[in-house]
Amino acid sequence: MKRAWIVLLLLVAGATWAAGASDLTLPNQAASLKFAAIGDNGTGEAPEYDVGRQMAVYHERFPFELVIMLGDNLYGRQERGDFVKKFEEPYRPLLNAGVQFYASLGNHDNPSQQAYPLFHMGGVRYYTYSKGHVRFFALDSNFMDGKQLAWIESALRQSQDDWKICYFHHPLYSDGKTHGSQVDLRVLLEPLFVKYGVNVVFSGHDHVYERIKPQKGITYFVSGAAGQLRKGDVKRSDLTAAQFDQDCSFMLIEVSGDDLFFEAISRTGATVDSGVVHRHTTP
Amino acid sequence: MNRAFRYAVEQSLVVPCGAAIALVWANWRAESYFHVASGLAFAVNDVGMALFFMLIAQEVLEAAMPGGALHTWRRATLPIVAAAGGTVGAIAVYEAFVMSGDERLLVGGWPIVCGVDGALAYVVAQWLLGNKSAARPFVLLTVIVSNAIGLIAIGFRQQSLSLHPAGPLLIALGLIVSAARPRAGTGTMWLRIAAAGTMLWWGFWWSGLHPALSLVPIVPFLPRSPRATNLFSNGRHAPHDSPQHVEHVLRIPVQIILLLFALVNAGTAVHGLERGTWAVPVGALVGRPVATLIAVITSVGFGLRPPSGLGWRELIVVAVAVSCSFTSGLFFATAVFPMGPVLVEAKVGALSTIAGALVATSAAWLLGVGRFEHRGRVGARVRFHEG
Repeated sequence: MKRAWIVLLLLVAGATWAAGASDLTLPNQAASLKFAAIGDNGTGEAPEYDVGRQMAVYHERFPFELVIMLGDNLYGRQERGDFVKKFEEPYRPLLNAGVQFYASLGNHDNPSQQAYPLFHMGGVRYYTYSKGHVRFFALDSNFMDGKQLAWIESALRQSQDDWKICYFHHPLYSDGKTHGSQVDLRVLLEPLFVKYGVNVVFSGHDHVYERIKPQKGITYFVSGAAGQLRKGDVKRSDLTAAQFDQDCSFMLIEVSGDDLFFEAISRTGATVDSGVVHRHTTP
Repeated sequence: MNRAFRYAVEQSLVVPCGAAIALVWANWRAESYFHVASGLAFAVNDVGMALFFMLIAQEVLEAAMPGGALHTWRRATLPIVAAAGGTVGAIAVYEAFVMSGDERLLVGGWPIVCGVDGALAYVVAQWLLGNKSAARPFVLLTVIVSNAIGLIAIGFRQQSLSLHPAGPLLIALGLIVSAARPRAGTGTMWLRIAAAGTMLWWGFWWSGLHPALSLVPIVPFLPRSPRATNLFSNGRHAPHDSPQHVEHVLRIPVQIILLLFALVNAGTAVHGLERGTWAVPVGALVGRPVATLIAVITSVGFGLRPPSGLGWRELIVVAVAVSCSFTSGLFFATAVFPMGPVLVEAKVGALSTIAGALVATSAAWLLGVGRFEHRGRVGARVRFHEG
């Protein structure tokens, strides 16, 4: 009898947890590009596994095809076994479902990660790829040398895609108390982003979620709490559009036509922010 | 303004003042600071600093001439061994600290801890141990050897994106022009320096060598005379007060370049200190003094003698005084890391090594040496044990 009660309680808890994942605000259209974003995830500890499970639950209803990784993909030791413990196991259901991960490098990442096949970096520090009418640019913000700057300018100039999305580890804008905005990088990258029409930028590094008010026409997200968390580490400022620093989180994004829908979701499955970025087409 | 600048030059305050302004500016109006700094970085770090290193090379060469502060190898052996040991120790501790964490990006930053801020170390040692102390040439040579190791390390790092087969050829041409015997007058000399310097700069740049070092090969061909006094002093010394001597002519321009160097490089937003920020001071302030002392003890064990008047307590103070990377650390950081947060980490670390001056002062006070010779019970106790 006691065992039956325990089973019943577990079922109720599971149903409640699953129900938490049901408040999807995204349109979830058939032909749209769907992807997720995680940053500062690779701890191999319980919060990362919780976020991975929550992502898998959402994937059942919102079948995103790729995950962009915003750096600090693995913390601490980075031997073969660590890739299993800190990446493959937490995201096993997604990997089994054919979801592809596209990584950028954070300051805790060993540069050798670029050769790890499941990160799809092709052996380089920075790279670009397109999915449908969206082109992604993954940068290495640790070292913004002249070569990389010349590359990103050339790649952005050549891109004819409707949407241009950049992602890298260090945020150009952030209200994180620990790190905050990386202004030295901003003066190098922002003029290029503006000139070549980048629409959205994703970063991590600060272990919180934040959406920045559009800056010079570009929407910036900080999503650096998919494994690490700094509770109470974000302050409000004129930049702030939305913030969440009470639990780990990840993002789901859907690009459909001229709209990019986003939803930030906590470890427990609660929606902490959502909205839409509209792409302004030039006549 | 002119008086203030001259005072700053005479007191070796140009770089600290520039660094302080940069730090305040970067943390107050970050965007405007980084716009200005990134716009000037190449002109200052890769072009202007070439004059600074030419001047340093000239000073060192003169100090090594007969009658110079560093003349005779016998006199110089112990500080050379101490500097080499201290540098190896600083690198070892830096790397050990980096490897104990997970920011492997910092591994290549070891030349930063080779840097010793010569002016700062000299001023600290002079202030603590006095004008006539034998510590001065010891500090001088330690600074030169440590920085030379760092310069060699960064000199061969790939600096330019635009390699060109004409690079080595231009270096050879520049050396030939430098070596050409001057026919007459100061004007000819400056023309020769300008022509050879331009060729060498492009030659270094197109060969992937650090262009800030490009004027050093000219130095052996410049007129010079021995220099027995303070390498970093700006006092008048008759044989040098001549337009024939580049160090005299370039003194003020180089101070302006150093001010700009500090302004351009020292400004960092100080928040979220990462491992790189700690690795540099740990290597410089812990690794270097300890390894310097071990090298000195070992050398003395092998029969070398410390300079007369320098006891163990003074040597401890000197070993700490030469641990400030500060300006040199900033230069090496900008040479080994490209723009970005890792460079910021390293720069904050280099700036923080100015604390070495305080540690050296504390050590002098505790050991009761130099200006603290007659003060403090702790110092008295240490002296008693030593005796």
